[in-house]
Amino acid sequence: MTLTASSSPAVELSGISKRFGAVVANDGVDLVLRRGSVHAVMGENGAGKSTLMSILFGLVTPDSGQIRVDGSPVTFSSPLDAIAAGLGMVHQHFRLFESMTVAANVVFGAEPRRLGLVDRRAAEARVRELGERYGLEIDPRARVSQLSVGERQRVEILKALHRDATILILDEPTAVLTPGEVSSLFAVIRRAADSGTTVVLVTHKINEVLSVSDEVTVLRDGRVTGRFATGDTSGAELVHAMTGRDVLEVSNQGDVTPGATVLRVRDAVVSEGGVERVGNVSFDVHAGEIVGIAGVSGNGQHEVVEAILGTRSLARGSVELQGADVTGWSVRDRRAHGVAVIPEDRRGEGSAITMTIAENLTLGHHRDAPIGASRGLRRGWISLRAQRARARELIEQFDIRTPSGQHTAGSLSGGNAQKVVIARELSHGAPLLVAEQPTQGVDVGAIEAIHGRLLDYRTAGGAVLLVSHEISELLALADRVLVMLSGEIVAELSRAEATSASIGAAMSGAGGGAGAAATTATAATATTTTTTPATGVPR
Amino acid sequence: MSAPTEPPVLRHPLVRLAQVAVRHPVVVPVGAVVIAVLIGAVIIAAAGLDPLTAYAAVLSGAFDPDTLDYTVSVWAFICGMALVAAIPLRMGEFNLGGNGQLVLGGLAAAVVAGQSGLPPLLAVPVAILAAAVLAGAFGAISAPLATRFGIPIIISTLLLSPVAVAVVSYLLRFQIGEKGAAVAQTDRFPESARMWALGDLSYTNVGLIIVILLMVAYWLVDSRTAVGFELRVVGANRRFGAYGGVRVGRLALGAMAASGAVAGIVGAIITLSAPYRLTDGALLSPGYTFAGLAAALLAGGRPALVPVTAVLFTVLQVGGAAMERSADVPRQLSDVLQGVVIVVLALRTVVDNRRSGEKGAR
Repeated sequence: MTLTASSSPAVELSGISKRFGAVVANDGVDLVLRRGSVHAVMGENGAGKSTLMSILFGLVTPDSGQIRVDGSPVTFSSPLDAIAAGLGMVHQHFRLFESMTVAANVVFGAEPRRLGLVDRRAAEARVRELGERYGLEIDPRARVSQLSVGERQRVEILKALHRDATILILDEPTAVLTPGEVSSLFAVIRRAADSGTTVVLVTHKINEVLSVSDEVTVLRDGRVTGRFATGDTSGAELVHAMTGRDVLEVSNQGDVTPGATVLRVRDAVVSEGGVERVGNVSFDVHAGEIVGIAGVSGNGQHEVVEAILGTRSLARGSVELQGADVTGWSVRDRRAHGVAVIPEDRRGEGSAITMTIAENLTLGHHRDAPIGASRGLRRGWISLRAQRARARELIEQFDIRTPSGQHTAGSLSGGNAQKVVIARELSHGAPLLVAEQPTQGVDVGAIEAIHGRLLDYRTAGGAVLLVSHEISELLALADRVLVMLSGEIVAELSRAEATSASIGAAMSGAGGGAGAAATTATAATATTTTTTPATGVPR
Repeated sequence: MSAPTEPPVLRHPLVRLAQVAVRHPVVVPVGAVVIAVLIGAVIIAAAGLDPLTAYAAVLSGAFDPDTLDYTVSVWAFICGMALVAAIPLRMGEFNLGGNGQLVLGGLAAAVVAGQSGLPPLLAVPVAILAAAVLAGAFGAISAPLATRFGIPIIISTLLLSPVAVAVVSYLLRFQIGEKGAAVAQTDRFPESARMWALGDLSYTNVGLIIVILLMVAYWLVDSRTAVGFELRVVGANRRFGAYGGVRVGRLALGAMAASGAVAGIVGAIITLSAPYRLTDGALLSPGYTFAGLAAALLAGGRPALVPVTAVLFTVLQVGGAAMERSADVPRQLSDVLQGVVIVVLALRTVVDNRRSGEKGAR
């Protein structure tokens, strides 16, 4: 772009600082967004990306610093101000009215009116028009509740575009998408940028940054540690800026011989409201192996994990743990017998955000030495001193970034909160570890550390069941990969057979093992949209 | 990194200070009280009276040295009933059946004291124990109703309570009451079955010691035991508790039994104190249950705060009566103030939920 008057930056943030209590989230951050460019904001969890974007969108007020839009200083006291200034934000967690139509959601708050009433036709026409212009085709009359995650994201983007957003902030947009949906999202991003929209992509995935962005700003510990033109940089350079070190890829060397059967699931059936969520699933996990479960989310993996832990009961079938049939056992008894679980939903299930980090690290250990005692006079009592000591130990050992264990778990960033969950569960030393999406929303440095720990766990003789949506994670870690589709195991792949293509093909129901990578991506998209027959087809 | 040369005032510093301050945990309960007092002042002024005089009357009435003995006894009862609400509150449940549990305790104590003929050293402890068992069992019913049949504890306690009150009332009128009396009440208990005195105080007796011991026990259990830890975990996040192996159903059973038992003990203490008889309605008319609930809510169920917030409601309760006498302001005003405190606290909960909802689920 040439240096004309209109090529002044679309947005300029200078000297933005924000602290939350003892935590410095942003420290003198400068960010310049060129008009019509795709600008990636990268950083590890807790690096301050989300805070910076919240400030830009008026959700958070900075302690100091200045925001300029089109060269003139602005003060946003709420997102409404930001929207008026031409900003639009697509949050990681969507804010849609599920029972309403796509068109109603898109125009909500800025409805076209006729005779004082909402003009439904105009709204639908607007959705079609925007969809054609940006390649975001979607049926305006479909109900949001029937849409797949990828389609819901389109609705969110359309919402911003409808309000004439010229600066579009996408917060971790690919976290919830299938590979096929990711590539179509990137096409949309490109098209929007080419037509003059400035796109901010918040992410920690390096390959995405390299494939779609024009410029990159990297944050670490609240400060800018690198600014690059994407064409002139490399993945290694970005990783270095994010973590301050080069990442060593951890991977399974396949050097451990599996031992005794630790987990045996037989003919497991889970139903919910008459619907079979898991149908006749059988598999074993042995000591010294990592068994991966692949699948697009919502294909019964989570229900299998719940059935193993005991938070959900089986309609039929059995779960055996170390030779004992634990099917009717309570969660407490199963845990005591040897199972630890890193759950998918760390805020909703894996932690209590209003309690301290020390207390979060204590649950499950509170009836055993040294914090509690299982027998004798101290049985039933808790030693606060032991609780504190243990928290200090685990915070140190797992590199949890917090001023002290007496801060609440809610004060931690996503990656550090995940470390709390992992520290607590790994320190059980249970024979079986179930890890569900252990690196979801976690930065590169932490992913490496978590992968290393899972491998160490296996090497030490633990049995690990790894549920993941990330094919690369399964390829790096698993000795065997089971693929789940519609509540059933549709493929079992050995380490030798498992490739990105073979797992992807099975995930999408294209047949175990066969299928090229290209067809995989398309098929995976097809699978997730089978529940939405109306989508894309005008009625 | 460019340091901001001219830090622009994005919002007025006072506004920002206020925003930060509002998040401090102590601010909300104190704020609730301040707002309640202000609203009370407006009501008093609207009635054409002087708020300052009225509040002065409340304070002087509550802390009048001549009746401090009475004030302390009321504080003990409110503390007891605050404990009743606080125990389930700690795990996120509401026991609204304090009244029913209280009168059942009174009934059990009255039956043991009046009819058993036990020797002096045994009569009082046995009466209190019987009260704890009966009221505890009654409170505990709500736990399986919730676990097995999905009836929320807040609903079942609220609806079962009047049943217990009516049954006790019936028994007093037609079965165990004093024959030929105009008021439904038992005979006076024999000397051997009266609450042990504490020195020569006329209102405060050994019951105060019992309530203090109960509060110490609650504090110990809450902060130093596995069960207390589990209560707090479940209160903070029920799914987290279930995932961590807490048997939530059993915990609810224990919490409701303990809560009911404390209500029973308070009922027994009041019944065995002067005038040493169980009179229909006498346990409920002072409104200890509601005052205790308000104190527990204001303290957020925290053991260390309960005795403090109970002081506030004791002052309102005792001082309210004094205010009526000396400043001519109806004592119902203290009920209004209690109500306002609860409404403000409830608003806090709504705001909190909304805020955490906005932050996204994970």
